[in-house]
Amino acid sequence: MRLISSSAEETREIAAAVAGVCRSGDTVLLSGEMGAGKTVFAQGFGAALGVREAITSPTFTLVNSHPADGLTLHHADLYRLDRTSEIADLALAELAEFDGIVLIEWGEVTADDVPGHLAIHICPGDPDESEDRREFELSSTGERWVGRWDRLRERLSIFAEESC
Amino acid sequence: MLILGIETATESVGVALGGRDGVLASVTIARGRRHGETLAPAVQFACRHAGVELGDLDAVAVDVGPGLFTGMRVGIATAKALAMALDIPVVPVTSLESLAESTRDHHGLVVPVVDARKGEVFWSMHRSDADGVTALGEPTIGSVDDLLAALGERGQHALCLGDGAYRHATALRDGADCVISGDRHPSADTLVVIGARRALREEWVTADLVAPLYLRRPDAEINWETREVRA
Repeated sequence: MRLISSSAEETREIAAAVAGVCRSGDTVLLSGEMGAGKTVFAQGFGAALGVREAITSPTFTLVNSHPADGLTLHHADLYRLDRTSEIADLALAELAEFDGIVLIEWGEVTADDVPGHLAIHICPGDPDESEDRREFELSSTGERWVGRWDRLRERLSIFAEESC
Repeated sequence: MLILGIETATESVGVALGGRDGVLASVTIARGRRHGETLAPAVQFACRHAGVELGDLDAVAVDVGPGLFTGMRVGIATAKALAMALDIPVVPVTSLESLAESTRDHHGLVVPVVDARKGEVFWSMHRSDADGVTALGEPTIGSVDDLLAALGERGQHALCLGDGAYRHATALRDGADCVISGDRHPSADTLVVIGARRALREEWVTADLVAPLYLRRPDAEINWETREVRA
């Protein structure tokens, strides 16, 4: 599923729509280069889940756990890690098990370890067109998202890229 | 000889104090996954009611897994911190050894099985007899079919225990000559028993050498295509 956001505000709206179909136990992998808008997405995602405290990038803390409505949002950032054992130490799969949703920035490198995830890749659009334009590519693996995919598509239809 | 046992490789927190003569105090908090919040107060509570000071400890025995990682790292970090501060050694014990030890009164082949999720299990094989419990091989990870094949190869009646054995009970009973009985989870009391025995023989390590048991896959460099592009 491909989407276009033309502002940080729209990125937050997309994130809120995704959060709206997420449930306890889900893992969402966010990828995209520095400045692509991963943390803006995380802020919109967390706000929609009911996180009240400020969401900042956990680049140095590795994982921030935020209480939300009836569950915990575990916000991770793998950017600073160099070895797979360091990812294993975070036990991200366990965090999802216990009334948690796990959102992982730079999460593409752990995709194979998380069957049934939602992957969201953000890339900056043509800088000549608009500095704030972003393209989103959403994909999922496993059975976990099959039943929700149409609902997600419907909620995001206003952001759908027309020419694709 | 006073041993502190720390068990956090499950959803519960377990703390026990004791020595060669048995367990003096034992605290279990089964309020799921609050290891970080409950472990240190549980140690304090156990010490106070057993009438001992942390300074009286001779060694710390800690479960190094395999098990629940989010819990285990709290227990291992706490064990290391206490050992460093008190200048005492650590007895690292695997959850499989601890489960096997809990069946001491049973004689025969004992196979602790810990749920590794994603359809996989950790297991090890032990012989239990009048002399105690002896490991027959290294801890292993594999599918339930791999475990059934290993049991078939051994060709002996087995006692299987641990949460993995209970989770896959039907497959194990149908596919192998075994009974499923005993504990689902390792206990801090057993850590004290093993810790006291090993401490007598000085089978211990310094705090810096204690690490969780990794069985799942070898460590490797992360393939950072995206990050390298940026750099």
